[in-house]
Amino acid sequence: MAEWSGLHSSTSRHTMDKSITLPPDEIFRNLENAKRFAIDIGGSLTKLAYYSTVQHKVAKVRSFDHATKEATSDELYEISVQEEVTARLHFIKFENAYIETCLDFVRDHLVNTDTKVIKATGGGAHKFKELIERKLGLRVDKEDEMTCLIKGCNFVLRNIPHEAFVYAKHADSEFRFQTTQPDIFPYLLVNIGSGVSIVKVESEDKFERIGGSSIGGGTFWGLGALLTKTKRFDELLQLASKGQHTSVDMLVKDIYGGSYGSLGLTGDLIASSFGKSATADKGFPKEDMAKSLLHMISNDIGQLACLYAKLHNLSRVYFGGFFIRGHPVTMHTITYSINFFTKGEVQALFLRHEGYLGAIGAFLKGAEEDNPNQYSWGENYAGSSGLMSVSPDMNPMQRARSGTFDMLEMDRLERKLVNLPLLQDASSYIPDTVDLAEDALAREYWLYCFEEALDGVVKRALASQPDMPEAAERAEKFRQKYRHKLQTLRHQPFAYGSLTVRSLLDTREHCLNEFNFPDPYSKIKQRENDMALKYYQKVVKSLEELSWEERQFALIRGVLAGNVFDWGAKAVSDVLESEPEFGFEQAKRKLEERPWLVDSYDQWFERLKGPPHKCALFFVDNSGLDIILGVMPFVRELLSRGTEVVLASNSAPALNDVTNGELQILTESIAAMDPVIQAGLREDRLTLVQSGSSSPCLDLSRLDKVLAMVVRERKTDLVIIEGMGRAIHTNYYAMLSCESLKMAVIKNSWLADRLGGKLFSVVFKYEVPAAGHDSEALTPP
Amino acid sequence: WTTAGGVTSRHTMDKSITLPPDEIFRNLENAKRFAIDIGGSLTKLAYYSTVQHKVAKVRSFDHATKEATSDELYEISVQEEVTARLHFIKFENAYIETCLDFVRDHLVNTDTKVIKATGGGAHKFKELIERKLGLRVDKEDEMTCLIKGCNFVLRNIPHEAFVYAKHADSEFRFQTTQPDIFPYLLVNIGSGVSIVKVESEDKFERIGGSSIGGGTFWGLGALLTKTKRFDELLQLASKGQHTSVDMLVKDIYGGSYGSLGLTGDLIASSFGKSATADKEFRCYMAKSLLHMISNDIGQLACLYAKLHNLSRVYFGGFFIRGHPVTMHTITYSINFFTKGEVQALFLRHEGYLGAIGAFLKGAEEDNPNQYSWGENYAGSSGLMSVSPDMNPMQRARSGTFDMLEMDRLERKLVNLPLLQDASSYIPDTVDLAEDALAREYWLYCFEEALDGVVKRALASQPDMPEAAERAEKFRQKYRHKLQTLRHQPL
Repeated sequence: MAEWSGLHSSTSRHTMDKSITLPPDEIFRNLENAKRFAIDIGGSLTKLAYYSTVQHKVAKVRSFDHATKEATSDELYEISVQEEVTARLHFIKFENAYIETCLDFVRDHLVNTDTKVIKATGGGAHKFKELIERKLGLRVDKEDEMTCLIKGCNFVLRNIPHEAFVYAKHADSEFRFQTTQPDIFPYLLVNIGSGVSIVKVESEDKFERIGGSSIGGGTFWGLGALLTKTKRFDELLQLASKGQHTSVDMLVKDIYGGSYGSLGLTGDLIASSFGKSATADKGFPKEDMAKSLLHMISNDIGQLACLYAKLHNLSRVYFGGFFIRGHPVTMHTITYSINFFTKGEVQALFLRHEGYLGAIGAFLKGAEEDNPNQYSWGENYAGSSGLMSVSPDMNPMQRARSGTFDMLEMDRLERKLVNLPLLQDASSYIPDTVDLAEDALAREYWLYCFEEALDGVVKRALASQPDMPEAAERAEKFRQKYRHKLQTLRHQPFAYGSLTVRSLLDTREHCLNEFNFPDPYSKIKQRENDMALKYYQKVVKSLEELSWEERQFALIRGVLAGNVFDWGAKAVSDVLESEPEFGFEQAKRKLEERPWLVDSYDQWFERLKGPPHKCALFFVDNSGLDIILGVMPFVRELLSRGTEVVLASNSAPALNDVTNGELQILTESIAAMDPVIQAGLREDRLTLVQSGSSSPCLDLSRLDKVLAMVVRERKTDLVIIEGMGRAIHTNYYAMLSCESLKMAVIKNSWLADRLGGKLFSVVFKYEVPAAGHDSEALTPP
Repeated sequence: WTTAGGVTSRHTMDKSITLPPDEIFRNLENAKRFAIDIGGSLTKLAYYSTVQHKVAKVRSFDHATKEATSDELYEISVQEEVTARLHFIKFENAYIETCLDFVRDHLVNTDTKVIKATGGGAHKFKELIERKLGLRVDKEDEMTCLIKGCNFVLRNIPHEAFVYAKHADSEFRFQTTQPDIFPYLLVNIGSGVSIVKVESEDKFERIGGSSIGGGTFWGLGALLTKTKRFDELLQLASKGQHTSVDMLVKDIYGGSYGSLGLTGDLIASSFGKSATADKEFRCYMAKSLLHMISNDIGQLACLYAKLHNLSRVYFGGFFIRGHPVTMHTITYSINFFTKGEVQALFLRHEGYLGAIGAFLKGAEEDNPNQYSWGENYAGSSGLMSVSPDMNPMQRARSGTFDMLEMDRLERKLVNLPLLQDASSYIPDTVDLAEDALAREYWLYCFEEALDGVVKRALASQPDMPEAAERAEKFRQKYRHKLQTLRHQPL
């Protein structure tokens, strides 16, 4: 039933000191421009949601108008930092005890709002209605609790990658995150508050409470309090995690002396919860009774959930509510129960932001005219607290902190993100190659690696804003924040979903943006682009002098050599820093000779002898030598063969990756020198699209909608992915429904070791989908 | 089905049997094929015996060979006939030794070597039985026996299954025997719960179960109320007010939660108020516990019934057995969860299922299923209403000794193939249990007619001197049955 029990407040009030341990302005961020408030007041926690606009700096590139301006420099384009306003959703969770303090703070800092209404949900909404109206001067507008819960759930499932996870107590990684499904419906939501509500969700607006039970969290709490005289929910769970249920429960073996084989019942199965307590002469330890109670309730809910899932043919079952929320003990018993009853057919799923669902839903109700569902949203790692493990052996300080203040921020992305239509099976696609949460050695290495690289990043960020005196201070703040995140991740690898090289890189980008370092590499990229352009014609000319056969190989070597230039990789940034003259030819010499570490060049070459591809989609990597001297000549060859080319580049900066804005300018200036490229652009056979990403890695399930449309329209039959971040850290195992080419140079000795190669080993992976996965799926509907 | 049950019955272990044993263990002289089902507190003994009794035969005179001494068309003769009868006796475990002694002393013509045994207590008393009776104890699977017994009573005893309606004019509403008893769901609520799908005579599967059963009510109830006796806990539960312990929908939302279709009085959280309550009320807790467990089992039963597309759900086990309180809460729960689509069914002879099944296992070579059997009303105790306001003597009696006798019919009985719908056919025009006025009249009418019947019976045997005594015994027995039916029309 409801999350709320109406009674909890007494348990949280005992520490009602009205002080907030974090500075409130770091919690209630961007309040000045806040609008559209929503609040979800539960039995003990309040969740406040608001929508705000964030001004932050973005780096823009613009070509010089060479006609009107005298050529004062030989720079191709100018870089400007502009203020941009983006939309951000803020969610803050705090104890009900702090509600007055928090409302006061919000009132005092609210500046530019014409908001008149605050949406409210949760069982406590009516209790605090008057207080909210008085404090904020806003009218409280109540929204249906279940509707908000479901709306919120749909939103996080759709917008937050790795929102759902499986809990495995004894596994190497306690939390195993699920990839976002292209279609989240239908699913079953089992909300375990005081009682249990079992809700079937069929679409955005269609849900039904198909069942429920009065045996829920309130029963554990109430019966537990009666049996053990322990009044606090957390303490009861602690007791339960220590007890031995077998002294209280009657097991199958207590009745039959062993298993009951003909019925398939093992001896250790609980035949009767509390079955021994009727006749025991002595009392039982509190722990044992609490454990027995916990098992009884979890097993019961598990069985009910399974039966409803089977009856309605649902395979995804999410559990939430205060009984579950952040409690490994209950997540474990529920998971165990589900495994037992479905023999593994159904997995118990939990949600990272489960506590926020009601607040998110209430917010969305209020924002319906803004059509929030038409946008894609992304979790801002810089502004969000991660998932806290509250296992009993955890530092009590951390436990308390997670129980009280906790934040989630989501950025509205400019454009809607969708799946690449060429994925062989979107529902099983996992972008990341290694889950660092499950691989302790790899985690250790990468965390170390990112920490080592931090000084360099700070220096680079500082250097990108030489004219700004306060940059030093911001850079220092960035350093502290990112280092803190890394430390958190070292202890709680699951804080933001699966820990991967991609999430480490993305977190760094979010933190840089947070402190207004939108593009630390802009100057370097500019210099390299200018330099590389000068060599373009020479490179093209030397390629044209080769025989067709030699040229095909030289083109691939060119792409690979270009890819050696990557400021994101430590080995290379060291070299680039110390040897500024390190050139394209030198890079070629560094490359591994064939046979490469992964080498399907012969198959690729055979394929080239066949008919040209209809259209190639190329996910490009770095600026400078990579894009200009490596990729463009290759693109040129494809165009010459009669293949259309779609170049996909990042929407916003990440490291020295070429952005869509930069690529537009570069392509135009190459077109001015090269008739093939020029014709391609003119005849619309060469198209530039943005990927929708601002990460050095690539998630093929979150790509710009326009890209997906173009890919469909052009009947794309070849996907090329370049670079370590996009083709190795991610997508190495991605299965596509058309031919694909993954190319990268390994510029990290640890990774090279892991893959059985060495520094500057080459991965050249050409794949043709197995028969049966032909392009039928591609035909536009 | 609970090993813990013995304790509660032992305290009155006086070893005396209040009814004369020879009226209980009838026809022991010719008994064979014994079976015993020893539960947590009650033992059920079954045996097969032959009964000699008189039958009236008619025969036509052979007019050709005999002279016509009279103008009567046929002659009447009374002959001795031997028929088969099944006996089932239920008594408290406390009396097991006395009963075994009695059986041993009166067993005359038997070449039986084996006694089939089932029930959780079978292994506990194995040695005692073997020593006392000199029979080898042959254990049979408990669930198999239960199902076999259930199939047998459903097939052979008309009006075996009933629906319980606490507030209706007739508390028990009997179901007519269905031509096809399969498939059905049996929910056995002992210490825990077993949910069994029965598809045919020999095919059944335990499709589910729960650890929240009778043992949980008993165990948690004992911890919460300090009341150790199961019956007393049920008594407590029948009196309490659960709303001071349970959190209702209206406690959270101030009323109903209309958009989800939840009424205000619905229990949102069992024991949801007790975490923060200052006072504890023993009986309230027992009631809340009873609701919690009954509702849970009810919901599970409904879900399994739906999942397997079964519409007949029978409930049994010690949690249910003869307890109107639990029959009521289970019935309520089933009605709530299925909105009346599924009815909770109970069985009159539910306590005997294991013993019947064990007996049938032992008698398999006799092919008991090829015959039809009829309940002998003269030799069977009826169903007892054990509602709390009932005479405690009667309650005690029903808990201890109780009998069921079934006669084997010479020929198998089947439906008239011309019935339009055999499953809805009800032979009787008026159900007197539901029609108080008619009941009153007919019971009075049969009592009035009794003298005439006795006179007629006596006149039919003018040559037998002891007929007067037998006629008087008949009068007493039938009058007693009529009186019983006046108080318990079921």
